Amino acid sequence: MLVNHQCLFLMGTVEMISRLFPIPTVSLRRSITIRASVVSSSASTARKTHPPLFLRPLTYFATLSDIVAFRSWATSLATAAAAAAPGLESIDGGPSASHLLRELSWLLEDATSQSCGKVLMRADLDELYRLWKERIERRRPFQYIVGCEHWRDLVLVVREGVLIPRPETEMIVDLVRDVEGFGEGLWADLGTGSGAIAVGIGRELGENGRVFATDLSLDAVEIAGINVERYGLKDKVEIRHGSWFEPLDDFKGKLTGLVSNPPYIPSSDIPGLQAEVSKHEPKLALDGGVDGTDHLFHLCEGSATVLRSGGFFAFETNGDIQSELVANYLSTKWTKCFTNVKTVLDFAGIKRFVTGFRQ
Amino acid sequence: MLFFSILKRSLTRSPNPRISIFFSVLQSPFHSARPRIRCLNGSIGFVGSSERLDFSCFPRRFRWFSSSVAATSDGLTVDGIVAKGWTILDEDDGDWKSHAAAIAQSIQLIKKRLQWIKMVVRLEQLSATINKADLWDDPVYAGRVSREHGGLMSKMKEVKGFEQDLLEHIDMLKLAREENDQHLELESMQALINMRRTAKEKELEALLAGENDSCSCFIEVQAGAGGTESMDWAAMLVNMYTMWAQRHGYGVTIVDEMPGEVAGIKRATIKVDGEYSFGYAKAEVGVHRLVRISPFDSAKKRHTSFAAVAVIPILGDVSTRYQIKESDLRIERFRAGGAGGQHVNTTESAVRITHIPTGISATCQNERSQHSNKASAMSVLQSRLDQLEMARQAQLNAEHTQSLTEISWGNHIRSYVLHPYRMVKDLRTTMKSQSPDSVLEGELDGFILNFLSSSLDKDDDSL
Repeated sequence: MLVNHQCLFLMGTVEMISRLFPIPTVSLRRSITIRASVVSSSASTARKTHPPLFLRPLTYFATLSDIVAFRSWATSLATAAAAAAPGLESIDGGPSASHLLRELSWLLEDATSQSCGKVLMRADLDELYRLWKERIERRRPFQYIVGCEHWRDLVLVVREGVLIPRPETEMIVDLVRDVEGFGEGLWADLGTGSGAIAVGIGRELGENGRVFATDLSLDAVEIAGINVERYGLKDKVEIRHGSWFEPLDDFKGKLTGLVSNPPYIPSSDIPGLQAEVSKHEPKLALDGGVDGTDHLFHLCEGSATVLRSGGFFAFETNGDIQSELVANYLSTKWTKCFTNVKTVLDFAGIKRFVTGFRQ
Repeated sequence: MLFFSILKRSLTRSPNPRISIFFSVLQSPFHSARPRIRCLNGSIGFVGSSERLDFSCFPRRFRWFSSSVAATSDGLTVDGIVAKGWTILDEDDGDWKSHAAAIAQSIQLIKKRLQWIKMVVRLEQLSATINKADLWDDPVYAGRVSREHGGLMSKMKEVKGFEQDLLEHIDMLKLAREENDQHLELESMQALINMRRTAKEKELEALLAGENDSCSCFIEVQAGAGGTESMDWAAMLVNMYTMWAQRHGYGVTIVDEMPGEVAGIKRATIKVDGEYSFGYAKAEVGVHRLVRISPFDSAKKRHTSFAAVAVIPILGDVSTRYQIKESDLRIERFRAGGAGGQHVNTTESAVRITHIPTGISATCQNERSQHSNKASAMSVLQSRLDQLEMARQAQLNAEHTQSLTEISWGNHIRSYVLHPYRMVKDLRTTMKSQSPDSVLEGELDGFILNFLSSSLDKDDDSL
């Protein structure tokens, strides 16, 4: 059963790739075998998953009135949940009714396609009902429900086990793009998760540019692999399994730049987070130790050895206090190693990133 | 002219390739004469549009098109045909005079709509500018001038070509009658009938001949004072435009929407994607008024509410767009709050971009990623700044001011009365519709075309 689901997932992916990027069958077959090896290696952590909604074939039908009925049921479920005292928003900063309704239209956008009065569906109605119940009652994140997240101009496959890339993180790609020698450089994305940053960078690189994306989680390695493949970046982005710098031993002192969105939330904050995050997203990708800086400090230290002289780094942080802390740490303890260390604001005006250069 | 007609005639009779070569060779001196004339004149008016001709710089005797009036072999002109007042009959039972009269009338209308006299004056101005030796010292300006020049030339050339065709067909028809050639007569007659049909299309096209008419556009609706009732009215208008756009096969996307507290919207911006959407939608700019028993009033009183509509073209030509400096922008996450980052899982990624020097801003929240919201907000901002720039340019260039002030924001243009009687009335054209429901479902073309033609056809001096 497990194997079957995995196969389905693969077929969907391959089909989508061939739709996006027509490639000859030979390479298609090769990509299947490569995927299969990844699957077997992660078999222990693989769970029962379906392919993302938007990649499934249109094999089901529904009438317009079925959809109208579903929509009105889903709408009332969402508004009732958001209005319940105390509402989702006031409990833990969860979604408001209008957010949920927008998600509902996106769910239908991903799951259906209308033609000549008939509705073609990528999942049967029962599944849609079940998915929406999970969204409202179990607070399962919308992105896991539909199996994807729109991030920058990408549509990334995500599922339980990988962090859903956040809008703030989009800016990391803009930060590195402005670095001198970006296009032909060697880059690393540590703790790549869904592979979002690595794919975002990989798409902008020149002919000789490369990204090495590492992650300790086998789920992440698998999903990142799917995303890299979906965007035809297998020649540009290499995914390596392992913790932080471990898989990059062969690149000591050679990297043009290094980016990471490491776990940075203080351990004690995690239970209080919004249910979508605390109950569903991987702790491994969130928990940054007592004050949230464990991994950030580790990354600072590692950068000193792995970056070439003049190499660039950008780390995402928990915000104002933490980014100041990291910036201070870099400019006091590593004063001989790094220059031009600064914090960068996100669009909400929070000091979200720390950037700098290797001496 | 007669000579060409005879040639054409022999061509239609025996489609022999050799003759057709002969024909084109005969025509070619006419063409090849142009560059030589241009060189003699030392003009550089061809830069950027080598195909287009600058007639105005020709020596007087060569100015076939712009000064001499095209006429048939016996001196009949388009104006002459109209002046004869030949009765215009139905297409199928017309004699040639009826067709000719109909086509000539169309040509006059087309010229009027294109504001022919202004075009000729403007063309002369532009040609003079283009002939200045220092023109290319300012390449941006030069580019704009030569583009406008080229655009005017090709529009005028098209109309003149059409005029020429009419006169040639008349010549041919007369010739056919003289020589008793029934085949040719029939063919010429058919050609006139075809022209008559095309002429009607061209009349409509001429309504949309403005500089940016072929562009896509944003339609913005803003609720007036009056709370929920006018916010509901604004939402009804957005709905009306969405349905109108869908009828035309245009793509519609909601870019920005600020919902009202109880119902409706405070404001909304929709993007209408497709050829000529701006040309049509620009007729909707102004204040729209609704009179009805408000569903939000428990006392069931009659309410009057207002909403304002603005329409902004999305300019296709990148080089003419307002240059935005990155450093002039402030980009904010709209409705942001809380810690953000890994703390929050939200599908809300609205972005607001403010252009600091002008204070103009744009928001987008309907895309699925922040990046796309930003791109979308940026395109709205760009178009708003373009419009501002166009208004500025228009003030500098008195030629265009008139057309712009005609459709200015703030004029009450249309009333929709649902109670005590039911009627939609356009205050500019006094056109009425007794069926407000179908208007609110997007049946707007009547009002739009009526306004466009009335605003272009009214002043007689433009021909």
